Amino acid sequence: MMNNLSLNEDEKDCLQELMNISYGSATAAIAEIIEKFATLNIPKIQAVTLDEFKDYFKNKLEHSHTHYVTNQLINGTLNGETMFIIDEESTHNLGKEFLFEEDDSNKNEICEDDLKDVILEISNIITSTTLSKFAELIDASITFSPPCIKVLHSIEEFNDSYIDEYNHIIIISTDIKFVDQNIKGELLILSKDESIVYMKEALNRVLDEL
Amino acid sequence: MKYLITDDSRMARKMMIKSIIEIIGDTDEIIEATNGEEALKMYKEYKPNICFMDLTMPVMDGFTATSKICEHDKDAKIIIVSADIQDGSMKKASDNGAIGFIKKPINSENLKTMLEKLNLI
Repeated sequence: MMNNLSLNEDEKDCLQELMNISYGSATAAIAEIIEKFATLNIPKIQAVTLDEFKDYFKNKLEHSHTHYVTNQLINGTLNGETMFIIDEESTHNLGKEFLFEEDDSNKNEICEDDLKDVILEISNIITSTTLSKFAELIDASITFSPPCIKVLHSIEEFNDSYIDEYNHIIIISTDIKFVDQNIKGELLILSKDESIVYMKEALNRVLDEL
Repeated sequence: MKYLITDDSRMARKMMIKSIIEIIGDTDEIIEATNGEEALKMYKEYKPNICFMDLTMPVMDGFTATSKICEHDKDAKIIIVSADIQDGSMKKASDNGAIGFIKKPINSENLKTMLEKLNLI
């Protein structure tokens, strides 16, 4: 089952291109909010299996202790879940951008609830815009659940049992560079098998048209 | 003019308020709801002239709230503000009674364009 659902090189390449286009829409949305953005890097995209994802996530948490993780369920032609992961330093940098004016002297005093609200809305815009565009490109139709957020301090806090239903995960790594600081976030799309089947067919339709 | 802003994110509501004030001025009454159910209650209580509605929210989503508000008042003016830019979502919102759709993030420019297009300013 797993091998049949794995993406071949052409499909991966096609997926990367469609995700680049889709993420471009989200990039434009974020750039619009934070008028002073210098650059937004082209996202790096990987299609991985669940085991590869677990190793990737474990490695990530080991390197930086605290991460903010938002989750959003998607339903429709594509079924699964999205996760937006951002480390503590990037979270605080993002908070400073949104919660304070330039001349504000209390930039170190950030309320945790306000910070979570900023992360939720930013991840909601990135996720919804990217997935909406992607769905449009592959003739799919999806709905979104409201996002929720949690703070992970270690791999032990990551309850990975809930992702066991996902065999295929698409990781879109993003690096948003401000004039004076970087914000690193990753958008993960966790897909159920039936969605991968649809996605493979859609990618092959696109490839056939080339 | 009274405005009802419905979004579960404080940040999104702040951005909307900022945009409204930039266009209309700060003398107007702006009320806020954090989900569709609250929006429905507030609509009935305050009778706002224009509602701005997010789609993806807990308790009651924007599609349902739009439909229920329009059932209550067929002349309700509801503008969707969402990052869900699928044609299907825009059509569903429109079928449920929304009169306009603004892609997130909202700013004074796209808000003004929409309000002018709908002859609301």
